[in-house]
Amino acid sequence: MRRRSLLTAAAASTLAAAPLAAGCGPASSPSASGGGSRRGHLTYGVWDVYQVPAMKRVAREFERSRPGVTVDVQLTPNGTYWTKLRTACTGGSAPDVFWMNGPNFGMYADAGQLLPLETDGPEPVLRSADFPPDLVSLYRWKGVQYGVPKDFDTVALWFNKEIFDRAKVDYPDASWSWQDLITNAQRLTDRKRGIYGVGAPVREQENYYNSVPQAGGWVISPDKRRSGYSDERTLEGLRLWIDLIHRYRASPTLQQMTDTDPTQMFQSGTLAMTYEASYNAATFHADRELRAKVDVAPMPKGRRRATVLHGLANVIYARTPQPELAREFVRFLGGKRASLLQGKYGTAIPARNGTAEPWAAGMPRFDLQVHLDALDYAVPYPSSANSAAWQHKDQMWLAKAWSGDLSLKEATSSLTTAMNQLLAQERKGES
Amino acid sequence: MRRTAAREGRIRPAHVLLALGAVITVFPLVWEVLTSFKSFGESVRMPPTILPAHWDRSNYAKVFEAVPFGRQFVNTVVMALLRTAAQLLLCAMAAYAFARIRFPGRGALFLGFLAVLMVPGQLFLLPQYQIMQSLGWLDSMQALVVPGMFSAFGTFLLRQFFMGLPEELEEAARLDGANPFTVFWRIALPLARPGLLALGILTFLWSWNDLMWPLIVNTDPAKMPLSAGLASLQGAHLTEYPVLMAGSLLATLPVIVVFVAMQRQFIQGIAFSGMKG
Amino acid sequence: MSVEARTGPVVPGRRARASAVVGRELRRRERRFRHRDKWWGYALIAPAGLGLAVFYLWPVVQTVYYSLTRWGAFGGTTWIGLSNYRTLVADPEFWQSLANTGIYTGLVLLGIPLSMVLAVLLNLKGLRGTGVYRTLYFLPVVTMPAAVAVVWRWLYNGDVGILNQALSALGIDGTYWVSDPDTIRFAVAVVGVWMTVGHHMILLLAGLQSIPADYYEAASLDGAGRIRQFFSVTLPLLSPTLFFTTVLSVIQSLQVFDLVYLIIGANTQNSLQNPAFGEGQTVVMLFFQKAFFDNQRGYGAAIVCVLFVLIMALTAVQFRLQKRWVHYA
Repeated sequence: MRRRSLLTAAAASTLAAAPLAAGCGPASSPSASGGGSRRGHLTYGVWDVYQVPAMKRVAREFERSRPGVTVDVQLTPNGTYWTKLRTACTGGSAPDVFWMNGPNFGMYADAGQLLPLETDGPEPVLRSADFPPDLVSLYRWKGVQYGVPKDFDTVALWFNKEIFDRAKVDYPDASWSWQDLITNAQRLTDRKRGIYGVGAPVREQENYYNSVPQAGGWVISPDKRRSGYSDERTLEGLRLWIDLIHRYRASPTLQQMTDTDPTQMFQSGTLAMTYEASYNAATFHADRELRAKVDVAPMPKGRRRATVLHGLANVIYARTPQPELAREFVRFLGGKRASLLQGKYGTAIPARNGTAEPWAAGMPRFDLQVHLDALDYAVPYPSSANSAAWQHKDQMWLAKAWSGDLSLKEATSSLTTAMNQLLAQERKGES
Repeated sequence: MRRTAAREGRIRPAHVLLALGAVITVFPLVWEVLTSFKSFGESVRMPPTILPAHWDRSNYAKVFEAVPFGRQFVNTVVMALLRTAAQLLLCAMAAYAFARIRFPGRGALFLGFLAVLMVPGQLFLLPQYQIMQSLGWLDSMQALVVPGMFSAFGTFLLRQFFMGLPEELEEAARLDGANPFTVFWRIALPLARPGLLALGILTFLWSWNDLMWPLIVNTDPAKMPLSAGLASLQGAHLTEYPVLMAGSLLATLPVIVVFVAMQRQFIQGIAFSGMKG
Repeated sequence: MSVEARTGPVVPGRRARASAVVGRELRRRERRFRHRDKWWGYALIAPAGLGLAVFYLWPVVQTVYYSLTRWGAFGGTTWIGLSNYRTLVADPEFWQSLANTGIYTGLVLLGIPLSMVLAVLLNLKGLRGTGVYRTLYFLPVVTMPAAVAVVWRWLYNGDVGILNQALSALGIDGTYWVSDPDTIRFAVAVVGVWMTVGHHMILLLAGLQSIPADYYEAASLDGAGRIRQFFSVTLPLLSPTLFFTTVLSVIQSLQVFDLVYLIIGANTQNSLQNPAFGEGQTVVMLFFQKAFFDNQRGYGAAIVCVLFVLIMALTAVQFRLQKRWVHYA
């Protein structure tokens, strides 16, 4: 879900970071000594190295407000985070508080690995009204809330002004439709120079999870029982990308994009437009040369306007020895102060309502309001109890259609079968 | 005279072939060095530049910012040395017994060792992790070291080595009444030095680059070895090539130094363990 | 197993010769030693043996058990008998990955003759700079796999990679080496060879250097030329080293994981968009995917169990065949 440049981290850490107070503090002592001032030690599991400075800063802020409490931010790199977390949960040694994402949430919640969080009463861990509703519901399972939204990402169309100027094409704006995207991408493509109009990779969050709802299609039924990959409208949303590659020849081929990531092509100035999630803004901003050349506009609309909304959440491990302290920490993380602090680092948009502005304001060269306004037409991120399993399938099958090895119909019909089978297994509780 | 001429005639083409091969072999590494001095922008530029436009050393500084490099360096050294020392002792003992002492069940036991050698490493992963967890060893040096102390490969290698040693000295010592351990310790082990050295260097190299196991057991960056620390540099799929290259070079350098310094012994060792059955 | 063929007969034969020389008295004493030796044997093997049993053999047993179960995402296993194996036999992805692994192994074995050529060249009398060559060829062996993969991905890049730039200078149109289903296996195997050639070369060079010079002198007195000397002296005397190298190489290639994983880009978020993914995926990669991402640990365990059996079988076959070509001095 996360893509980011180290430059961002370097920039961020010189901006605001101070080293974490080296803490091997007092060992876990769950005894509460008076209201709100519990002593103890918490571990906080995260996977993004670029957000570590921000997370450590926030943790230190929490420690300061709770003398006798230490928080240890534990980084597990992307590749092994989920493997490691699952094994740790099985053995009872997971971090007290950790990051969660949409595709994995269902599995953890369903298996009772997460601590339910109060959303009302005298001391709620979160108030639903403080966060975008789709994000709150992404982390609700069978009517129970398990996660406090941490950040969110929306998708928008990033473009290279230099290439537009050279081709004498007007910059994209909110009025663009798919047809405008296609026509202009063709005009921007300049094969002699190795420049392409737009990147059409097999990316879920950035590409087809947006175009599918834009075309009026769907990925998974609301009851999480059926795959939507055979729906005509869904196919329309997928065909956009395939056509951009093969029919309009305005995108690099899938092989080219496998060899060189489209985001990287965009950074090196050979791609005029790319669909990017908001977390890449900081990456683009960190590159001085690039910063001056690029900007952002809303995604062109199909039948309707839509962006898939995804965001991480902070969750508590069900078997933490310190449930009360963990609740306090998670409440703090979702609070206004921690959210504003997080936004200042620029690496993620804080999920709490009304705290996103500093994120956009930190990079004034870009029209980042586009990413924030996208919340108005956001659609929830497709998920089920074991989303990770079928998302694996969907990229694999769709890649065959993108590359032209299979027709879209062939690929999606195999995909529908495979996904429905996995969903059926999910219901039987097999994994 | 004629012989030297013939020899000269063979040597020159040999040099050409060897040099060509060496250039091809080393090129990717040279590219790694060059990339480590490029700015990120330059590293993704198309077409790529060969030499950096200006030699940017900041990537090396960034490695130190991104991971606790010094700490991880120490972890790596300690882990590699402890694993190597333990393997040398334990493997040599077992190997000597397999090579020289007859006892019931030897064949079966040796087969058990060989079986381990053939098992895909991934097969051990989960049960090993569970053992570490039940011992409370996660995020510790023990977790890095202990499973790596035992090696079926080392035993196999040293057994071959011992079998190639002349038996006469040992026979004589035993006729003088020395017990097998004394014979092993005083006579066989010193003779086996080249083999031990070879195994030692191999174990050291493998431990140094070992990635999967450290990533699984030790999540605390302060407890990680370099390999795992550098993997965390690949925090996202948009890898910052120059920094990754710089980090990898820094991490690889000590191993290269060890190899270059000890390559003579290494090769001698391999020659003896040399698989003359 | 046929390993015995190699270890078994050695001891009685040698012992008998030795004792014949020293006489009856020795034989009597030796018998007494041997009785006590038994316990020394167990004692010396115990530390390594126990460690291997606890950390390696027992996990194997556990994994075999897992392969007969279905796992909940967080523990809790259900016995399902051979169901995982039935699924496996019917799974085209498994067969494809097996084929990929087989092809990779075959291609990487081609590195052995290459190493042999290099070793023979390096062993030429009067060649200077051997140490330098040895070091250069060995460098890839010690370099970290993660870095190696990134560099090679760079080199193989279809649009801007150095390889295609070099080829186009020769008038050849390159392809997208690591994202073309037709080339991925070769691309990966080349890196596999690159990373192992130095290692094999050093083993073989060591073997060459341990061949006594008088063998060659005798052969040349018999009028054998260079080529014949190679086939009548070098090859037979090197055959144990070649055998060892081949056995290890096969075992390691069948288990190949990190190199292919990283070159295909499976560590990146959108790896599955690689159209060559299916053609590149190895058995251990499939295991990794099933066991750790698809939450099918039991099925993953079944995959590695099958791989284990295959490796055992192939190794056994090699040990059996060694009698035909391996010559122990």
